[in-house]
This record gives sequence, C-alpha cells and structure tokens, in this order.
Amino acid sequence: MESSTIKIILEVFHYLFFICSFLAILSYILLSIISARETIEYVKKNSFVNYKHILSSPISPSITIIAPAYNESLNVVENVRSLLSNHYPNYNVIIVNDGSSDDSLEKLIEAYDLEYVDYEVDEKVKTQPFRKGVFKSKNPAFEKLIVVDKENGGKADALNMGLNISDSKYVACIDVDCLLLEDALQKMIKPFLEATDHKVIAAGGVIRIANSCVIKGGKLIEVNLPKNLLVQAQILEYLRAFLLGRMAWSRLNGLLVISGAFGIFDKYIALEVGGYDTNTVGEDMEIIVRMRRHMEEKNEKYKVAYIPDPLCWTEAPDNYKTLISQRNRWTRGTIETLRKHRKIAFNKNYGKFGLISYPYWLIFERLAPIIELVGLLYFGILIAFNLVHWEYAVLFIALAYLFSVLFSLVALFSEELTYNQYKKKGVGIKLILLCIIEPIILHPVILYAAIRGNIDYYFNKTKKWGAMERKGMSSGETN
Amino acid sequence: MHIYDYIVGAFQEAPFLIQISLVVVVAMIITIVILIIGLRATRSLLKIKDKEIANYKTQYEALIVDFLYSGDDSDEMSKSQRSIIIKLKSGVRIPSRQKSIITILSSLMDEVSGEMSDDIKSLYRKTGLAGHARHRLKSKKWHIVTKAIWELRQFGVYEGQEEVSKFITHHKREVRKEAQLYTVDLFKFEGLSFLDDLELPLSEWHQLQLLEALMTEGNPKICDIKPWLRSPNVSVILFAIKLAKIYNQFEVKEELISLLAHPNKEVRSAAISVLNDLFGYETEELLQLSKDAFSYEEVHVRTAEL
Repeated sequence: MESSTIKIILEVFHYLFFICSFLAILSYILLSIISARETIEYVKKNSFVNYKHILSSPISPSITIIAPAYNESLNVVENVRSLLSNHYPNYNVIIVNDGSSDDSLEKLIEAYDLEYVDYEVDEKVKTQPFRKGVFKSKNPAFEKLIVVDKENGGKADALNMGLNISDSKYVACIDVDCLLLEDALQKMIKPFLEATDHKVIAAGGVIRIANSCVIKGGKLIEVNLPKNLLVQAQILEYLRAFLLGRMAWSRLNGLLVISGAFGIFDKYIALEVGGYDTNTVGEDMEIIVRMRRHMEEKNEKYKVAYIPDPLCWTEAPDNYKTLISQRNRWTRGTIETLRKHRKIAFNKNYGKFGLISYPYWLIFERLAPIIELVGLLYFGILIAFNLVHWEYAVLFIALAYLFSVLFSLVALFSEELTYNQYKKKGVGIKLILLCIIEPIILHPVILYAAIRGNIDYYFNKTKKWGAMERKGMSSGETN
Repeated sequence: MHIYDYIVGAFQEAPFLIQISLVVVVAMIITIVILIIGLRATRSLLKIKDKEIANYKTQYEALIVDFLYSGDDSDEMSKSQRSIIIKLKSGVRIPSRQKSIITILSSLMDEVSGEMSDDIKSLYRKTGLAGHARHRLKSKKWHIVTKAIWELRQFGVYEGQEEVSKFITHHKREVRKEAQLYTVDLFKFEGLSFLDDLELPLSEWHQLQLLEALMTEGNPKICDIKPWLRSPNVSVILFAIKLAKIYNQFEVKEELISLLAHPNKEVRSAAISVLNDLFGYETEELLQLSKDAFSYEEVHVRTAEL
C-alpha cells in the first residue's frame, strides 16, 4: 500500500476517534444539565407529599412483589422478612424457588409455617412446570406470602411464573437479596397513578450498594462507605449512572432499561408482550425495549418512569472475578436486546425511541468498548511505528481523564445536594479521592469485561449467567 | 519571569489544536479544583445545617410539648403558654427556625388527634405562622405557593379559603392539586363543588388523596353525585363511581346503568364493578343481556367481582 493511502486511512481514524470522543463528552454534558433540571423539579414536587395518605387507603391498587430465588439458602429467610415489612397497604409477595438444589424451600417452610396448597395456574406465559408446587403460610401474620417451587428455568422463567400467579394490577420484580425500604412501593407506584394523558408502563428506581451498611431485621440502619476499593469505585459508578444518566433519560422519556434488581411493571402490558424473554441474559432490558416497542406500534402515549430516591439496596461484587462475570453478562444482554430489536434503530416510525434512545445505546453502550479497544490498538500501532505526536496524545489523554473526574465530581455534588447518604466524617475526602483514581482502578476492568462479553456472545454461545457469590447482608454489617 | 516568557512563547508557537486543548485542560483543572472546594464546603455547610436543625428540634419540640401540656381546663391560655408563644413567635421570624417549627408541628399533627390536634392548630395561628403562609400565597414561585397551601390545609386554616380557591384551576398541576385538597380536606363534600365544571383530568393518585380527605369525616353529609356521573370529564366520572362504591350510593343506579354504554372502557369497567358491588346478581342479569358489548377486561372485572 502506498504511503499516501496509509496516511489517508490514519487521517480518517483520527477524525473518527475525535468525533466519537466529542459526541460522548457532549452527550454527558447534556445529560448532566437535563438531570440537574429534572432532579430539582422532582425534589420540589415531592418535598410535601405525604405518603401516609396512600398508605391507609383501602382502594390503593394492588401490587405483587415477585422475587426469584436460586440457591439463596444463606439469606432467603431474612430477605423474605424484609420484603414482608413494606408499608404499602395492598400487596403480596411471591417467592419463586427456581429449582434450587439447596435447602431454600425447607428453610422457608420452617420459618414461615408454610403448607402446600392446591393451585391451578392460568398459564398466560409458558414456563417450566411446578416441582413441589405452591405454598402458603398457616400463620395469618404471613398471609401476604406465596412460595412457588418450580423446575429450574432461569430468572426470566421464574419471573414469568410470578406474572402468571399474580392477581395484581402491578408487579414489582426484584432480586430476592435486595433490601427494599419500607416506603419503596408507595414511591414507585406514584408515577403510575399520577399519569393522566399517558400510560406509565414501568418504573425503575435507583439501586444503591449495601456492602458495609448496617442492616438489622431487614431494615437499613446505617449507611457506610465500604473499605474495599473496588466496591467504592462501583458506588461512584452507580451514582453517575443513576443520578445523572438515568435521571436525564427519564426526563427525555428515553429509558431503555430498568434494573432487574427492582422495577415495577403494568402487569397487563407485560403479559400482552409475552412476559420476560427466557432466551436472553439481559431480560430486564429486553422486556422494557419490547414493551416500548409494543406501545409505539400501538401508537399509544406512554412513559417509562424513574424514581431517584434511594429505595433499593443490594450487594455489589467485591472481587474482580465476580465483577467481570457480572459485566460480561450485562454486555451480552445489551447486545442480545439491541440485535433482537434492531428494526427500531434509526426508524422514524418509533419516534424518539428509534431516533435518539436506541442509537445512543447502540453507539455509547454497545459499541463504546469496541471503539475504545480499536482506539487502544490503533494507538499501539502508532507507537510501534513511531508515528505518535506526543504533545497531542498527552493532551488528549489528559482531557479524557479530566473529563471523567469532572463528571464523577458532578455526580457526587448531585448526591450531596439531594440524598446525601454518605454523611460520616472523613467520607467526603475519600469520595473525592475516589473520583480521581476511579478511572484507573475500575474503568479498565469494565472495558475488559465488556470485550470478554463481546467475545463470549459471538464465540461462546453456551455461556449463560455467571455465578454471583453472595456474602449476605442480613446479619448486621456486611463486608 | 524567564519561565513565564518561555511558557507564553511555547503556547503561541504551538499549533491551534494544541492551544485549544491546553486552554480546555486548564479550564477543566480549575473547574475540578472549584468543584472539590465546593464539595468540601457543601458537606461542611450541610453538617452545620443538620446540627442547627437538630438543635432547633430539641429546643422547639420541648417548648411545643410544654405548651400542649401546660393548659388548664379554662378556655383562657395559661401564663406559661403565653410565654411559650412569645418565644415561638421570635423563632418564626427567622426562616430556618420557622421551617423547623412547622416540621415539628406537622409531625405532631400526624401523631395526635382530637383536642390535642386542635391545640396544635391554634398554636399554628397564634404564633403567626398562618399569616406567614397566607402571605406566601402571593409568591410567584409555584412550589412556595403549593407549600403554603399544604400548610394551611394541614393546620386547618379556614380563613385562607378565598385566597386558596383562586388556585383551584391553576395551570401548574401541583398547585391546583393542593388547592383542591385544601377545599376537600377542610370543607369535605362541600369542597368537591370544583368538580362541577372541572375540565382538567384528576389523576388516580389525586383521587386517592381526595377520598382519604373525605374519609376522615365521621358522619359524612354526602351530596348529590349524579351530576358528576354525567360529567364530560372521564376522570370526574371515575371519581364519582368510587364515591358511589365507598358510600353505597344505591340511588344512582340509573346513572350507573347508563354508564355501561359509555364510550370509555375504563368507565364501563368501573361501572360494572360498582353495580356488582351494590346490586349483586341483579347486575348479572343486566350484563347477560348485553354481554357482547363488553371487552375481555370488562368481563374479567365482572367475573372477579362475582
């Protein structure tokens, strides 16, 4: 190849990377501004809402909490107790024991005085069959609890079983190991009931990291910053994602994902679209995209709502292996969902969904790690051939790094001014230092996991869910 | 000076892109430093504020509780109560203290009832807080007006009715919701008259709040809900159906039956549900006659109810 051709190729690469970086930075700035406006509005609107009004109302709409459990024997009894202590007046809890090989079911039977009940399921969505069937408590104190024991079919299949059994108008799908605050359901149901000129099809909440927090009797007693640097870095990452990213996308009605850890759905619409997809590891994102697509095709006004209050607390991976496995799965889930619904991409028939949300996810979530990897390889080639203009390179790396720090600091500022969860002395300086080192300690791992996710998606089709090792957060302080 | 000249010279000789990037890098570093200082200052300020609020809480909570328990059987205020009011009045003049006093009174209102609740309402007026809230109704900021209406409702300030009624059709949803809640909470069924010509929709959340406000009355004097069942506003019809169900309004049977032919599916479903509730199998016969006119969901509602 002639040297002039190589030069042109290199120039093209230069401009492509420059445009990508510029667009990414611009989008982050815009999202920050939008989220700030939305947060201020939300705080103003909710500063005098008395949730006690809906608390005692006998006509509050019913909600079913569906919590799939697979080999959760360690914490299942305490976690269910936490789910049963919610303040909402009209709800029940369905625990779907998804073919666990441990003694989860036996522990639940003993702790909650469960007995087998003859139960006929209206199978609106096909699922794996019952194993031992449906159990209810003999103790009236646990009348809200239903335990279903079924053959293993994965998380999506277990959630579908819950959808089949629920007789409520709304379903809250959560991970059984999550800790829900007592007023979580009241706050989450509000957007559904407030809408007048559109239908709210789903609502998601902020997920907070519970490692090191003090939890007693299924209640969050004290919020602490964990000692583990990896978990600390994830706290910052979650603050950025939930307080800035999702808040802004909620304002634009462009949310494509509600965390599988906690979300509420309009059950009729969830069933209308066929429930959760059992053939993906990203079922939480896939069902939202499918529900949105369904509403767009029906030409009905709708919204996916988002509540920024810290209502759901969960345990984050505290070692690289588990974190990589988790992020690998998230990447595969994103690829599967975007591929399955590629018809939406840049399709004006789907409005903002097809022209803004989907392309954003495609470029800045799906393709971002690949673009970054190509960039790194390209940089390596330039170094090898001694073609690097170091004054440019150093400045651009500094720009990228400084922007990352700046964005984290803005997220931290937003947290301090709104929910201010990390109040303890000395934590403030630690969080600021974290903003400075987080791009070095967490980002490379996330990039590696995303690349592995891509490789596994294309070359290792048999890979499904990775195991999440639980340390447990129900007995006092977690690690 | 020598280094400065060297840096300026190097900057001027650098390519344009480098110059821009350098400016952005310096701007970012300055912004980061400002943010870090701002964050530290914000945390310190928040801590001071938290401490201050805790102090006010201890101080004023004790005073308010003293006030509530230092009254005698006569209608007149005791000497110690009068001195407490003077102390609270001086606190009310300072915005941060005023906020703390309102928070304490409000949380006490949620915990007590009867005579004690009346005493709190009276204290709210005597400390001048009611006047402050009514003054805030003139604000141009919607959230300040909404908060003021909320206070007048919470502490049962009937004198604010005329000023608050102006906000019943306010363009900002939060303001008009709070104004409507005020009239219903304070004047019960009489306060529902705004439904007569309401054009904007009532959200389900708001309907729940209105019903809650109505339910606090022991012997409700239920007004005629028939006009609302014939309203052109679907949300008003749905609300009236809920009233019919909760307050067993057997006399609106004809109106409910006519709603079975309403073009809105939600209204039809709600009408079936309440007819089932009030008239049971009588409704079943009626529905059998026109079952082809109903959708799956409506039949589902009927089946579930029966």
